[in-house]
Amino acid sequence: MKRTVIPFGPQHPVLPEPIVLDLILEDERVVDAVPTIGYIHRGLEMMVERVEYTEMGFVVERICGICSFMHGMGYCLSLETIMNVEVPDRAKWLRLIWAEISRIQSHLLWLGLGADAFGFENLFMHCWRMREEILDIFEKTTGGRVIHSVNRIGGVKRDVSDAELAAILVRLEELGKAFKKTASVFATDPSIAHRLVGVGVLSPEDALSTASVGPMARASGLATDTRLGGANLYDQIDFQPVVETAGDCLARVAVRLREVEQSIGIIRQAIDKMPKGEGLPLENRPRGNPAGEAFTRLEQPRGEVVYYVKANGTKYLERFRARTPTFANIPAMIQLVKGCELADVPNIILTIDPCISCTER
Amino acid sequence: MDRTTFLARIEEYHMGGWRLALINATSAMSTEEQPGGSFDVVWAFVKDNAFEYLREEIVPGDEVPSISASFPAAFLYENEIRELFGINVTGLNVDLGGQLYKTAKKIPFSPSAIRARLEANAAAGIASASPTPPAGPHGAAHAASSPAPTSAPTAGKTA
Repeated sequence: MKRTVIPFGPQHPVLPEPIVLDLILEDERVVDAVPTIGYIHRGLEMMVERVEYTEMGFVVERICGICSFMHGMGYCLSLETIMNVEVPDRAKWLRLIWAEISRIQSHLLWLGLGADAFGFENLFMHCWRMREEILDIFEKTTGGRVIHSVNRIGGVKRDVSDAELAAILVRLEELGKAFKKTASVFATDPSIAHRLVGVGVLSPEDALSTASVGPMARASGLATDTRLGGANLYDQIDFQPVVETAGDCLARVAVRLREVEQSIGIIRQAIDKMPKGEGLPLENRPRGNPAGEAFTRLEQPRGEVVYYVKANGTKYLERFRARTPTFANIPAMIQLVKGCELADVPNIILTIDPCISCTER
Repeated sequence: MDRTTFLARIEEYHMGGWRLALINATSAMSTEEQPGGSFDVVWAFVKDNAFEYLREEIVPGDEVPSISASFPAAFLYENEIRELFGINVTGLNVDLGGQLYKTAKKIPFSPSAIRARLEANAAAGIASASPTPPAGPHGAAHAASSPAPTSAPTAGKTA
């Protein structure tokens, strides 16, 4: 059969950021897809040559506007490992709370984009209205809605008072109740099911062989979650990874729906368990320059991220590398697109929750 | 690198059900033994909560076999280290032919490119890392065994 090549992207209604997939079609069926990135490659990893390690954290945060908090946190954790710094307890708990708030924010953003992609404008607006409330919490506690800059090597810059934390919890629980209604639309609406059920099915074996991470892998039945390792106080939190088994687009939506509620539960536990009081230490600033290397893994909203930092005893790092979850999920995305109908490509691409800024850095 | 032993160890990870987490390269500047510089390449794997990696020192021009026969998802990382570092990876299952990142400057992270950039910075009086970093922790240093030196040189600060 004659083959047609259709370039998907760099501009497309479902793509908030530019990426190209050259789709090779036989009739309406995709037989191959060739990715090209590089439209927003900013060379942030190269900036370690000119930005001192104490300031590099602020650059790292700017890799992406959605995972910004956790990028900053991962960078600081790497330097803390290299420099043998013990972070004060309250700072660790605050980081955990902000990280989970980031997860809720990211999932709400994605659920909105997903709803928009399959034609549910109102659902999109509801999700983003709720996300605004999360951004308000960020603004009040960190001073920034998108870029927070509260992470420092050795701790955090700002404290959140106990009263404020209690108020945040009340707000989140109210949001959780409202979210249940919205979530039920995703889970029960027949037109959404018609669009997503059985589309882009990734088997557990394929999820492993394509090295998928995060909600992508969990929707295919793999109980993989970096938080289970117990680092960064997650050993003190009672939670189980959200796993679905269908492996299709709807399963990936369902994982994120349930993770929003899970994160609210984790924040509740964290506020309950953290040391209380005013004026507790927040920062343990290291002295000197770092020497050595560290790998740091975190569970970002989109999945596992791996940071590699190598320092040589000078002010400038020798290497900083972030392997972001979208980068890890691209092989799975390409595999899913092969064999599907052209009309299903937007939903499949969207359900991996692609973040191209993260992928290219 | 010993190609057969390397691929056998990679296959052990594959058979053990490990997931490929990362392939990362770091350029090391030239030394007396390696005047053209070298690359420190890491292949990292995750299984449950365990994280392990293999590490090889690669000299520019050395042939590095693709691990895509065991880990098909490796092609992205392998295309990346080829485009950004100029490492000669052979036998890829998907060869993107230098079209993954489309950087304006080809092979920006090769030891010679980094050195040229840092020397240009130094000449122009722009604060940046030194083209000749201290020899001590370079290469095999690990976090736990190397406390931060308190009197480290102030690298690259000119004028």
